[in-house]
Amino acid sequence: MAINLKPVDVAVIGLGAAGGVAVLPLARAGLTIAGIEAGGWMDPHSFRPDEIHNNVRQLVTSVPKTKREIPTIRESPSSPARRSPTHPMMNAVGGTSIHYWAQSWRLKPWDFRTRTEAAKRYGPASIPAGSTLEDWPVTYDELELYYDLVEYEIGVSGKAGNIQGKLDPAGNIFEAPRQREYPMPPLRGTEFTERMADAARKLGWHPFRAPAAINTQPYRGRPGCVYHGYCSFGGCHVGAKNSTAITTIPEAVKTKNLTIFEYAQVTRIAAGAEGRVTGVSYLRGGKEYFQPARAVLLASYTYENSRLLLLSKSKPYPMGLSNNHGQVGRHYFGHWSGFVTGLFPFDINNWYGLPAQGTTVDDWADDQFDHSGLGFIGGTTLHVHTETHPIDAAAIDTFGRAPAWGSRWKAYIRENAGRWTSAYLQTSTFPYETTFLDLDSEVRDPLGDPVCRITTGPRQNEQRAVAFANRKMDEWFRAAGAIEVFQPPANGPGISTHAYGGTRMGNNPETNVVDGWGFSHEAPNLGILGASVMGTSGARNPTLTVQALAWRTAEHLVKNWKSIAS
Amino acid sequence: MQPEETDERNISRRTVIASATLIPVAALTAAAQAPQTALSVSQRQILDAFVDRLIPKDELGPGALECGAANYIDRALADALAAEKGSFTEGLSAVDAFARQAHGAAFPELAADQKDAVLTALEAGNAPGFPNARAFFNRVRRLTLEGTFGDPYYGGNKNFAGWDLIRYPGPRLAVGPDDQKMSSLPKPLHQSAYGSGRGH
Repeated sequence: MAINLKPVDVAVIGLGAAGGVAVLPLARAGLTIAGIEAGGWMDPHSFRPDEIHNNVRQLVTSVPKTKREIPTIRESPSSPARRSPTHPMMNAVGGTSIHYWAQSWRLKPWDFRTRTEAAKRYGPASIPAGSTLEDWPVTYDELELYYDLVEYEIGVSGKAGNIQGKLDPAGNIFEAPRQREYPMPPLRGTEFTERMADAARKLGWHPFRAPAAINTQPYRGRPGCVYHGYCSFGGCHVGAKNSTAITTIPEAVKTKNLTIFEYAQVTRIAAGAEGRVTGVSYLRGGKEYFQPARAVLLASYTYENSRLLLLSKSKPYPMGLSNNHGQVGRHYFGHWSGFVTGLFPFDINNWYGLPAQGTTVDDWADDQFDHSGLGFIGGTTLHVHTETHPIDAAAIDTFGRAPAWGSRWKAYIRENAGRWTSAYLQTSTFPYETTFLDLDSEVRDPLGDPVCRITTGPRQNEQRAVAFANRKMDEWFRAAGAIEVFQPPANGPGISTHAYGGTRMGNNPETNVVDGWGFSHEAPNLGILGASVMGTSGARNPTLTVQALAWRTAEHLVKNWKSIAS
Repeated sequence: MQPEETDERNISRRTVIASATLIPVAALTAAAQAPQTALSVSQRQILDAFVDRLIPKDELGPGALECGAANYIDRALADALAAEKGSFTEGLSAVDAFARQAHGAAFPELAADQKDAVLTALEAGNAPGFPNARAFFNRVRRLTLEGTFGDPYYGGNKNFAGWDLIRYPGPRLAVGPDDQKMSSLPKPLHQSAYGSGRGH
């Protein structure tokens, strides 16, 4: 028998980048919150400058729950589903915001209205065949306030390129208007990243330093970044990376309205006869608990959000919670990206720093350029960054200049291990009829529940977009003096840290799971947080948009508490 | 209104910020006993000979063997990679069997050019009787990189020779603007993330 807990106002499932932000407006409004988190508090003393620990064995991120629930993946319903050995997301108070790159972008107005804008500029035939693309029910202008709020609440460094229409070429002149400057200046450049910026300017492009949820100076009692080179897949040992574990969650705890349940694994969300959710079942320390709540915010991750809804079957929801229109799991997509490598004939000293420190170009993103005749819509950000680790450096491509081992190879890496870097390219990605999540028919977790199954494969629009961006990156590297450039083929994402959809946001309940506020079209007191509500990716990291939406959904719940919770 | 169960750790640990120090060696004494290894003497000899040819000792300095890469792999197979021990030792046996078949002697006994011929065949997936030769070669190569260029804490990269070879200046807890200049690499800091080069 489950142990029945005292009711709370709101149960939040998952205290990561999304849930960890949403608890703050709820707690400040005086609502009682149970924060149910599958991981625990992490000790910053355990964050080490150690490539084997962080990157090879992934021990910061290697916590049990996500590993037991790794999704399977297949290219189509007729091909077999394989299971990846690793899951890139982690359970912890703060979740993956502990080890992420902390790049904190706003999307562009175009990302919210892609269908309308693309059809207007290039004709209806430009919409990728088979895509289920819709305009978002939210515009950039409506979300601007929440972007601003989160940027200041967690702390984002950067340089504005457009304050209320006034352009500044020191920032990104292609960004949408923002109401004010960032709370902190951007991460510093290095001689190498400035060389890349100069090369971009020579090409007529507009380089800038990208925004990051990383302090560049003391901010709200936390220190600035020390650029030590172990940010990726590692937590910050000085607390300069603004994960929710050191920003919004502690603020919410201070109100005494938030109680956190660590190492609690949610198994089902319960619904009553009239279709409202009534609470959450979870396992903790071998015991089963039921947490009654007047509203539930589901904030696990894209894969687990869909899985938990599909597993939570009840009389009013025989196909899974909030799935009476068959939309849970639909409109899924992983972010298409590229990693282009450049080799230089001189040392670039890229060892230290962090992946958010670098030079970015937006000239080939979104709809900044004329796509006529290119055969795709959308675009790509090109980002050249610092932080290279020694094992990874020695694993450099040989570009046919040396064998892969022996004395000649040794001489090759002695010269070149410190002379190359990879650029990170992120491409606008769209949902398709044939990309979706469901429950695997064979693979189960140790509790006997099916794991999530990803169906995804090559898509012509995105493939062309990545190939186009790869060529631009090649041009940029060579303009900066690179002697070799390697462009890997564009194959599309597998299991991803940038996974979107499955509980898409939209006004039409026939094609979307949540409404424009992030609440279920079917279960009125169920809100859903995370990139699972996003209908397009943009050409940049999702987290800030996820956090702005999470804040907005939580605020909507507070403002409409009586109508939603009763 | 609060739920019945609360967890005091929630609050006490919530904003602990680490002081910026490397972990002192003294804190590691509990782990300072001789680490476990996984391989038999003969298996280890095959591995030693293998990594020695992947990154040989030459005029550029110590090779993978001198860096302790085989030691790193031997320890990892008893620890983090224990699940891989069976397939790995099978691979070592297959290398030795192929060497005997192709060159008439145990792999560690072959001359350097014969060893290289064996590795070349493995790399090309062209070793009769050893269907996974290429995958095994790639795995040993990958682990040799880890053992040569990883933190010495794990038993490899002895005397920081791996980091010196590729001119990696070593982990440091804070890096200033001058340390990121292209024209002048910072002075190598011969220090493990764990405060000493000797490891556990």
